[in-house]
Amino acid sequence: MSADIKRAPIRPDWWSKTFAGVVLGAMLAFALAGIFAWAGPGGITPPDKSQFVMWLIAPVWMTVLGFVWLFRTGTLALLWLGGANLLAWGLLFCVRG
Amino acid sequence: MKIRSDILRIYQALHTWGGICAGMLLFIGFFGGALTMFKDPLDRWVSAPALPVQQLAPAQVDEVVADVLAAYPAAREEFTLHVARHENTPAPVSWQAGESGHEIDFGLVRWQATLDAQGRLAVRQVQPSLLAELIDMLHRTGGIPGTLGDEYLGIYVMGVAGVLYFLALVSGVILLLPTLVKDFFALRPGKNRKRFWLDAHNILGITSLPFHIVISLTVIVFAFHDQFYDGLRGIVYRDQPMFAPPAIRHAPGDATKLLPASELVRRVRRQAPGFEVTELLYMGVESPRPIVRAAVASPRHVVQGAQTGFVILQPYTGDILSTSMVPGQGNTWSALVAPFFALHFGSYGGMTVRWLYFVFGLAGAALFYTGNLLWIEKRRRSQLKHGPLPQQPLRTARIAAATVGVCLGSMASIGACLVAAKWLHAFGAHANSAYLIVYYAVFLACVAWAFARGAARAGSELLVACAVAALAIPVTSVAGALLPALGMWAHTSPATLGVDATALALAGLFAWGARLAARRAINGPRDSVWATASVALPMAEAARKVGT
Repeated sequence: MSADIKRAPIRPDWWSKTFAGVVLGAMLAFALAGIFAWAGPGGITPPDKSQFVMWLIAPVWMTVLGFVWLFRTGTLALLWLGGANLLAWGLLFCVRG
Repeated sequence: MKIRSDILRIYQALHTWGGICAGMLLFIGFFGGALTMFKDPLDRWVSAPALPVQQLAPAQVDEVVADVLAAYPAAREEFTLHVARHENTPAPVSWQAGESGHEIDFGLVRWQATLDAQGRLAVRQVQPSLLAELIDMLHRTGGIPGTLGDEYLGIYVMGVAGVLYFLALVSGVILLLPTLVKDFFALRPGKNRKRFWLDAHNILGITSLPFHIVISLTVIVFAFHDQFYDGLRGIVYRDQPMFAPPAIRHAPGDATKLLPASELVRRVRRQAPGFEVTELLYMGVESPRPIVRAAVASPRHVVQGAQTGFVILQPYTGDILSTSMVPGQGNTWSALVAPFFALHFGSYGGMTVRWLYFVFGLAGAALFYTGNLLWIEKRRRSQLKHGPLPQQPLRTARIAAATVGVCLGSMASIGACLVAAKWLHAFGAHANSAYLIVYYAVFLACVAWAFARGAARAGSELLVACAVAALAIPVTSVAGALLPALGMWAHTSPATLGVDATALALAGLFAWGARLAARRAINGPRDSVWATASVALPMAEAARKVGT
């Protein structure tokens, strides 16, 4: 593998990438917000923290969705985001106990 | 900065389709939102002067509260004590049957209570004008009727539009990055109109980018927060409490034992020094959870509500139950959340920021309008040299007509609602029941007009309609002031005069736009959807023949 091989252009793959961004992106956002809720500063109990946790979801979700079309193919997007979801959800189940 | 062309192509498609799908809805949202910056002045402008603003001493107000609670059971469920009294809230106490709901009730009846000249309780039934509420609803729903569950359907549609809006922002920035340095602030007037519009679109977009990112994210959260909280409750919090409502002790459930209202106001002032206490909302004074929500306003602080922050009190003991919505008195987390709200509502920095948001809101609306114009221009089939004038595809012409009709129609119809409020009053009718009819009649007429006349002619004609509607607002006020026999009114407080002045300025802006659009329709490239050329040409031809 040499670095100067010209890469194939990015495939639009509108359906699979949009699905990955919308569904897997949302699930990832929920999991990351959940990890922050349990393992972030203060733990699960501080009053009003749940509001901040809720506000975390949209920015994370939208960032994933906004850049999901940069994956070279839809399959890659599904695989990477699926993998990230597995990791994040595993971690959430760990910290949630 | 260099970006690969395959990436640019994808994000160009995303920008175009996100913009086209959401643009018109966002236009209404932004124009309505700009107006809601001055919701209170609008409300005051439109409120008929049935009762002069009551100047009562705190002790007299306490008397009104006690008398109302003794005589009117509905008030024991919920009533509002107006500490700051204006044209729209002239009496110290007002209430309605049942709790104030989530949706607008156009048949809403409220009672206002004050003291008459003999110091006895004087109660009147009123239909408070819902104009400002209506504009707020249009802002939040884009004017899409119907409900889904216990929420307006339009709110969810607006949430989806918010997602498309965010995507359009991301893709717009990606598209601009390669030429950012070159194109930024390069407003190139002159021959190439498309270039000019693109420059204007880019400048508007980049200079207000942080504002737009904040608005798009908050729109998504405001639309889907119930779903987000439900999701968090199901998978993250489960049996952990998400909200800890304050414990309320010593609730005797007997309204005669309430602390005097003036004492509660004093405690709120002590709790939030430097703030103006505007109103106290009493909820369930005879229930096990009696609560008073005191609204506190300050131009120098970031507040969480659209207008004010809040102090929560127990009305029997005067205990402060919560100050988490008072700037600087909440915990770290509520302090972190407050800016999200304030940045959407523009509720920081007083009038300066409200005017700034008003301008940003109008500029945002212009961003979507110019965006659609650009797309339409881009798709047009250009005239070949000496070739026949190409026919524009029907689809493009339709999107152009829809853009013109929906965007300009929404502005004209809101103006018509303001004017109708006073004229209907002059003819003895109440405007609340007519607002929706006026709004949708004018709006649909504008859309129909745009389709019937084509985008080019409707573009300038509907701008004239907007100008007329806007001009009618101060004209109506002047008529009300000069001819009292008409049964209208004109308030003279600075806030309400500001409504008239702003309408006058907007009328000028619309008239200027109408002139530009008309000139463009005649002089612009004849193959554009913005040209009346296909009709103007034979006429010019005929004129020449007559002339020779």
